Amino acid sequence: MKRDSGPWLAWVLLILALVLIGLSESGALGPAEGLLSFVVAPVERAVAAIVKGVGSVTGKTRDVVELQQRVAELESGNEVLVQENFRLREYQAENEELRRQLNFHQENPTYGSIGVDVVEQGCTIFPCGDVVGQDTNPYLRFVIINVGSQAGVAVGMPVVTGGAAMIGRIARTSPNLSYVQLINDPASFVVAMLQQSRVMGVVEGSEEGQLLMTNILPDEEVAEGETIITSSIGGMLPRGLILGQVESVTHLESDLFQRAVIRPAVDFRRIETVLVITDFPQPDLDELVIP
Amino acid sequence: MSLYYGIPILLIAAVLQSAWLEDVQILGGRPDLVLLLVVTWSIIRGAREGVVWGFVGGICCDLLSGGSFGLWTFSLTVVGFLAGQPWVHALGPTVIRLALMSALGTVLGHFVLLVVMILLGYVVDLGRGFQTVALPAAVLNFLLCPFAFTFLVWFHHRSRAQLGGFAQ
Repeated sequence: MKRDSGPWLAWVLLILALVLIGLSESGALGPAEGLLSFVVAPVERAVAAIVKGVGSVTGKTRDVVELQQRVAELESGNEVLVQENFRLREYQAENEELRRQLNFHQENPTYGSIGVDVVEQGCTIFPCGDVVGQDTNPYLRFVIINVGSQAGVAVGMPVVTGGAAMIGRIARTSPNLSYVQLINDPASFVVAMLQQSRVMGVVEGSEEGQLLMTNILPDEEVAEGETIITSSIGGMLPRGLILGQVESVTHLESDLFQRAVIRPAVDFRRIETVLVITDFPQPDLDELVIP
Repeated sequence: MSLYYGIPILLIAAVLQSAWLEDVQILGGRPDLVLLLVVTWSIIRGAREGVVWGFVGGICCDLLSGGSFGLWTFSLTVVGFLAGQPWVHALGPTVIRLALMSALGTVLGHFVLLVVMILLGYVVDLGRGFQTVALPAAVLNFLLCPFAFTFLVWFHHRSRAQLGGFAQ
């Protein structure tokens, strides 16, 4: 007899699931999700710690562990140096650009000019979080970090690792967890530029997990190996966060723009600790408004 | 009601899926632990409990996803309902039913998930999703179903003894 109640119960739960989707899409589900995350967050943290612990212990001798640690330290040091090198190159390029502007100003003394500084400086890099899990939906590329709105994290904030390598942006928060949309997610778009040539484009993810730079004008020269950084256009991101390096460039005659395949600056499957940039200097929009 | 142990089992399965299995790549894919448990429980206990496990398991998965809340809930509820239908009993002995439905249920679950995502405007390719995610997951769930069955049958016998033969 009780099995007969299956269909109506199924319909009720299916309709409830559709209602949940509707509420989620409209953004009205935030408080309820936040409440449930109080239950999930500790379990996720505990299991992530156990998985990490078990993964590093099983089947390894002491020497192997020590060697792994040494390699990890060297890799970490190397990563920091590479990122530092990228940053220095960015400062060099910026310096050259400022010198060119200064020369222009000196060669044209009658021109009036206003110096603007759109260079990211002194970002308030605040909450530091550990990656505790990946998205359970295999068609999305998100990671879950163990800091949430209680630590000041909000939707849209950029997330970096290994110095200044951007991995993504906060897409959703709960009090104790945040969901980071990786830059290689198919729905991710970042306005970017090449560090040396200053060529602009859009870095977007793909379904295969590849990182692509699109919307590059056809007459621009793009060199393989060139570093791609974020642009401050739009005011949503600080300038100078590293996205990757150009691996190859294609331009079909039928296409309006060139397209570059990018080698990401980080291995998205091996991200452990990240920083969330909660604030950065932005141009004052009020000054742009014409009275 | 089986949810006394169902909620912790499904919650831990979802967390394991997020913290561990997403990094595991076998045959180019990874198993869907929560989906497998929902299908198995539905075959053991019928559609009524299958939909409840699908709903709860889906909520656990949605809590660990950056996508719209309810995607997994809807998908797993559909799978839990269909896997527990009487016509599934016509497929043969429990072992055959379980093996077939583990694979078919996984494909169906991913199909529902993909269709809803497409309807909501997500950038996903149905064909590619099936090829690279759903089919490897179906094969892995097919291989793992005996373990899930053994695990859940223990709970089934335990709860049946407690409830005096409520279960199927």
